[in-house]
Amino acid sequence: MISISRATILMTALLAFSSLVAEAHHGVSQFDDKEITLQGVVKEFQYTNPHSWLIVDITNKDGSVTTWGFEAEGPGVLMRNGIHKSDFTPGTKLTITAHPLKNGQPAGSWIKAVRADGVEFNPRLRPSEPIPAPSSKDTAAPAGSGSAAPVR
Amino acid sequence: MLKQMLKQWIVLAFVAIASPPLIAQTASPAAQQGGGPEASQQPAAKWQRKRDMALQYRSLADFYAAMKKESASKQRAPLPDWAGIWTADSVDSFAACLGGSQCYFRPAPGDTVGPKLTPVAIAELKRGEEMRAKGLIYDDNLSACGPAGFPRWLTEPFMREQIVTPDETWVLTEQANEIRRIYTDGRGHTPEADRYPLPEGDSIGFWDAQKLVIHTNQLQSRPMGRNQPTQSENMETVEIWERVDANTIAIDVWLFDPRLYLEPWYVQRLYKLVPNPDKSLRIRYWDCSENPNNDVTRTQEGATDYKGFTFTNKSNSQSNH
Repeated sequence: MISISRATILMTALLAFSSLVAEAHHGVSQFDDKEITLQGVVKEFQYTNPHSWLIVDITNKDGSVTTWGFEAEGPGVLMRNGIHKSDFTPGTKLTITAHPLKNGQPAGSWIKAVRADGVEFNPRLRPSEPIPAPSSKDTAAPAGSGSAAPVR
Repeated sequence: MLKQMLKQWIVLAFVAIASPPLIAQTASPAAQQGGGPEASQQPAAKWQRKRDMALQYRSLADFYAAMKKESASKQRAPLPDWAGIWTADSVDSFAACLGGSQCYFRPAPGDTVGPKLTPVAIAELKRGEEMRAKGLIYDDNLSACGPAGFPRWLTEPFMREQIVTPDETWVLTEQANEIRRIYTDGRGHTPEADRYPLPEGDSIGFWDAQKLVIHTNQLQSRPMGRNQPTQSENMETVEIWERVDANTIAIDVWLFDPRLYLEPWYVQRLYKLVPNPDKSLRIRYWDCSENPNNDVTRTQEGATDYKGFTFTNKSNSQSNH
């Protein structure tokens, strides 16, 4: 009898979850499992199908600037997660966490971004979940569409 | 430790294909479903009963015809309200399906019954798992922005809509703008001599009260998912769509392809209504050429890589990070 440990089942579940990241259009094997967290300034938010890209200028340790791209799902998923194009206008300061590309290019799979005002944005596909509540900034949005946590 | 886990996972993947009952003895039901206790799967006995329904017929076309004949004597009901934006149920269609990559090849809940696969299907599943274990994943259909095709269409995530009219029902997904037209005006399929393979096939249907019964043929030969077996042009399906509660549409699906199955197999898909109180959610056109950063290619080994980015040079590395 083959013994299957809890760790193995957990790993299977994690692999299953990872496929949710970019099922739209391509797999995720080009991304590293490790996470990196960087601080930068938004250059452009490409709000497009099948994937959106958050383009961010990151200042390196030596003072030079590298432009990175962080991939998320398309507008449909972002909107369901309460992430609008207007949330990341050029010049917005943020801290972003991502799975970087394995090949060393400055791009990654966007896990979460925390703006300088403290609002967190999670772009991952979360099927059949309610739309998160708007942050206090989005006064035009209707109330009662989710929790009050400032996480999107 | 990690090496050991990886080894175990590879073993698990092979065992999942070769011997489903073994999984039942060793993994929890939640692990089998890929989800928690909230999984909205129907009981195994019901699943098996539905699977058996199709086995008494010579073909799924005959199964469909028998249901149509039976419904003819029933009183007509108003068309159902399927308005709104819907999406695949998280447990049913994601953890149990995409990650496991065996949407159409995994055992029923409770592991009481499994699909009877041909040697070709078993070999292709094994080869697919080997590729996946090596991280060699490329999507022959979606990465070039082509359609997923049917029946993979049923497993697609993202938003979907159903447009119900007396003579036709359109069921569509956001992904790759895929639309299926279900003709319910009494017409038959395209005559056999004039058929040609289509990504979504040719679908005809009828209403049994508020259930939409559909038969689909004329399908293309194409992989049923990433690193999945390839269906043939002989694939045919029967679906029964029904809104089972305010927030759920359940779809019973019988599929048969002599290339992959020894007998018709049954699965169920669930779609959930997406909250949209301010009507801000809208399905938009999907165009891979819109953003060059989304261009991907297959590497020589069979993995996915980006063709290049507009925001950096290919030679530009992460430098100080």
